[in-house]
Amino acid sequence: MTAPTLTSAKPPGLASTNKTDVRPARPGAPRLREAALALLFLVPGLAGLGVFVIFPLFQAVYLSTRGNDILGNPTRSVGLRHFEELFTPAFGHVLWQTAVFTVLVVVPGVLLPLAIAAPLTQRLPGMRIFRTAFALPFAYSVSAASVVWLIMLNPGVSPVNWLLGLVGIEAPGWTTDPSWAMFTVAGVTVWMVSGFNLLVLSAGLAGVDEEVLEAARLDGAAGLRQFVSIVLPMISPSLFFAVVTTTLTALQALGQVQIMTDGGPNGHTRTLVYSIFDNAFHNNNSNFGLASAQGLVLLVVGVLIAAIQFGVLERRVHYR
Amino acid sequence: MSRRATRPGVAPTVLTYLWLAVAAVVLLFPVLLTVLGGFLPSNALLHQPPQLFGGHWTVRNYLDAWRQPVVPLAPAFLNSLFVGLTIMVGHLVTSCLAAYALVFLRTPLRRPLFWVFLATIIIPYESIVVPNALFIRSLGVNDNRLALVLPFLASGFGVFLLRQAFLQFPRELREAAVIDGCGHLRFLFTILLPGSRPALTAIAVWSFLQGWNMYFWPLIISSSNNSLNTLQTAVFALKDNEGGSPAVLLAGITITLVPTLLLVIFGQRWLVRGFTAGAVK
Amino acid sequence: MRTTLRRTVLGLSLAALAATTAACGSATANSGGSGSGATDAAPAASVLDGKGEVSIDFWHAMTGKNGEALQNLADQFNAKNKGRIKVNLQFKNTYDDTLSAYKAALNSGQAPDVVQVYDIGTRFMIDSKSIVPVQSFLDTDKTNAADIQPNIAGYYSVDNKLYSMPFNTSMPLLYLNKTAFEKAGLDPAHPPKTLDEITDAARKLTVKDASGTVTQYGFGAALYGWFLEQWTAVGNQEYCDQGNGRDARGTTVKLATDDHVKLLQWWKKLVDEGLAPKLDSNTTTADNTFTSGKVAMTLESTGSLSGFLKSAEGKFEIATGNYPKINASDNGGPIIGGASLWVVGKGKDDQHKRAAWEFVKFLSEKDSQATWHTSTGYFPISKSALDTDVDKQWVAQRPQFQTAITQLQGTALTKATQGCLLGAMPQARKAAEQAMQAAVLSGTDPKTALQQQEQAMAGPIKDYNASVGG
Repeated sequence: MTAPTLTSAKPPGLASTNKTDVRPARPGAPRLREAALALLFLVPGLAGLGVFVIFPLFQAVYLSTRGNDILGNPTRSVGLRHFEELFTPAFGHVLWQTAVFTVLVVVPGVLLPLAIAAPLTQRLPGMRIFRTAFALPFAYSVSAASVVWLIMLNPGVSPVNWLLGLVGIEAPGWTTDPSWAMFTVAGVTVWMVSGFNLLVLSAGLAGVDEEVLEAARLDGAAGLRQFVSIVLPMISPSLFFAVVTTTLTALQALGQVQIMTDGGPNGHTRTLVYSIFDNAFHNNNSNFGLASAQGLVLLVVGVLIAAIQFGVLERRVHYR
Repeated sequence: MSRRATRPGVAPTVLTYLWLAVAAVVLLFPVLLTVLGGFLPSNALLHQPPQLFGGHWTVRNYLDAWRQPVVPLAPAFLNSLFVGLTIMVGHLVTSCLAAYALVFLRTPLRRPLFWVFLATIIIPYESIVVPNALFIRSLGVNDNRLALVLPFLASGFGVFLLRQAFLQFPRELREAAVIDGCGHLRFLFTILLPGSRPALTAIAVWSFLQGWNMYFWPLIISSSNNSLNTLQTAVFALKDNEGGSPAVLLAGITITLVPTLLLVIFGQRWLVRGFTAGAVK
Repeated sequence: MRTTLRRTVLGLSLAALAATTAACGSATANSGGSGSGATDAAPAASVLDGKGEVSIDFWHAMTGKNGEALQNLADQFNAKNKGRIKVNLQFKNTYDDTLSAYKAALNSGQAPDVVQVYDIGTRFMIDSKSIVPVQSFLDTDKTNAADIQPNIAGYYSVDNKLYSMPFNTSMPLLYLNKTAFEKAGLDPAHPPKTLDEITDAARKLTVKDASGTVTQYGFGAALYGWFLEQWTAVGNQEYCDQGNGRDARGTTVKLATDDHVKLLQWWKKLVDEGLAPKLDSNTTTADNTFTSGKVAMTLESTGSLSGFLKSAEGKFEIATGNYPKINASDNGGPIIGGASLWVVGKGKDDQHKRAAWEFVKFLSEKDSQATWHTSTGYFPISKSALDTDVDKQWVAQRPQFQTAITQLQGTALTKATQGCLLGAMPQARKAAEQAMQAAVLSGTDPKTALQQQEQAMAGPIKDYNASVGG
């Protein structure tokens, strides 16, 4: 399944429902007792987030200035050395590839399900079966999808290569050719998110008036224009939701890269999150300092993307 | 807008079916391979050209995958279930309480506190995974299932979602309850929560699937203790283990996919409702 | 410490949560075990007398059939030592994971009693100062390691001191699709010996269909760092400085050598000419291409023989040849790879150390090794194991394995064939793979690619050496 992480995604339609707080007047109730109760109620949530989300941010800053002993324990200060390592062409490459990967996942990852969801709105026999079938990739976890695709594209096994061979096409080195690997890993991610996005977009389209949809789907070019100018704005909350969650899925992707290419060939699929994983936990590296510094970069990227998405994009979303 | 025919013409219908059929063949081939591949004799896939169809079918790979002792799948099922359910309950409990305090109690610093919860939503988990891993190790719980869930028991998103739901709760009901002498806990459990079911469902579905699908964190935790494999990390370990026989590997993957496949096939409507509880108000 | 604050907050919050909802389980954290005594002293067998059953943990990374074979041996040991010692096997995924887990366990005081570590973790294990050298036990018991194959013991010996007990050992071989060889008019009894000979054979073995698509490549192997190390040893060259890290701590990995450049140029040419497919460093994928018949020659360890025979059954026959040489004049031989068993001393009392040694000793004995060899295909570490009936019979049924025995016996033990000892060896292997991928897959100039990685390794090696104070 490709559900994006809960901590950083929200369904549309919520941000705009901000009302003034209800302030219950409870004359006679002892204010102190209520404040104590409030504290008691807030502590579990605040502590959980404080200990495992907020405090680690500061710890990450601290760790990013440390070297480590052979067991991986933080030791002496290395000053800003780990941050200097971020200003290298190699890390620039990692950031660039992260951006490329995200675009390669988000654009087709939303458009493809849209192109499937649109015709599924017709009242034709078999549409429900089609929808269920197209949603099936949603059942795959990152690791399941990656391993299955790895088998599909394994040069020794690949039924895909064999089929291509039948029509006279020599299959590329899907995961081993530097110019193909990124497309392959992104493609598998698109496949994975397509099921979820199909469900989201179908739900959005289900709320659109039948007549509007029909007008849009009649003859070619005019219909397409109708679809873009009338239907899309009507489902913009769902579309926005799909874009946000897919972006986060792409940005935080680890399993696809780690399982399918292990960052290779020759670093061509190395993304930011893979790099954090690699430096900290992979291959006996235990370079927690550098990984923490890269984690802080990811934080900045995450905040920037959140700002763009909610500041710029959301203004164009039409909530009903 | 002028009304046109209510049913599309023959040509567009054919095109529609053609497009859907092509898309289905491409997108569903991996699913077909996963399920059917597991029934092939173990040599059939390692063959040029691959012998995908015909030949004798067998359930041996499924038995092998289930019985192999190296990456046992049954405990991985239990771990995944534990992770999903614990995180779900954790989110529900902490979010309900916090949101209640933010909406119905005269909490000091109510606004700033709300912003703190909100701010945690945009922190990508991967940026703090290193300090958390070191912390869990230092706690000495890394051989315990708790290590899989401890960092994920609270959720800023859950607080946010429930606060929105609570704010829309009719004030009259709250006041009526107060007049009846209803205490905070009773009001919360008997009136407020039953009335906020859509939001609770959304949180429950989201957090369960978040836990079920987690990969990075269980990968770190299970890397030092195989018995903490979840289904997701088990699939990866299985790949290293049974890589020599793709059929067994595919059978193993199919087994791990059974719950979610069933969910998508039979629980789709419920799933969509949960996910989009906020979206289609 | 900083974590203390987090711990306190966590504790308070759990208490608050419990108080609020009463719906919370208890979260108890075990603190690590306690231990005393000098870490590397080897207690005598008498410490086990009258102490009841000592339970020890063994962390390993043996998968599939090999894992089952190990469990059988452990069961045998437990039956033999009932009431005295009981071994619990714990599987820790891969070698990498096992070592990571061991690092973490040393920090939290939950280390096992015996741990299986891959060859390239040797320097790290010695530097971790957490183990009892096997030599100390041999000295205490007044025995020696004479029955262990000298080339195998060589890797794990530093300053003539055997640090760990080799256990599962393997060597690389050249694997041939015998059927394809015969079809191409080649003699599988005389496998190619050098790069040039592989090229010649690959030309004859590569088959294309009517549309020009290659249906069978002549050669194909993973761009696996271990192979590069092997090629170096076969050329009787040292892989890192300071006498392969055996005279003193190594400071550089010698990646950018002329032989390596020649090798990568050759490999690139095979791929460009369509005689070899593009494969990355994933050995499983490469293995699949061989067992499916897509490539006719590959490189793999002896440990893969059984799996290969099973997968190829009914499709084609398999033959083996010595690991190839870069130059015809190369006169070294392959390094024995694999993993060894370490007795943990840190935080362990004498009973546990001794019990751990008893188990390690049991696994190294002739009969255990014969069982191990015949059920897994790993090379037996014990010389006399090869003379047991079980073993002789097994080899007779698998003539392919005879190549490995001859190859081992034909290899002189030098610093080059002992293998490079380096704390940052896991990273060095990865760096080698990066260079191999860059040269063969991305078309980077081999010399440049190797130099880049050699320079990139300078930092990690320096950091490592600095952190162990040497």
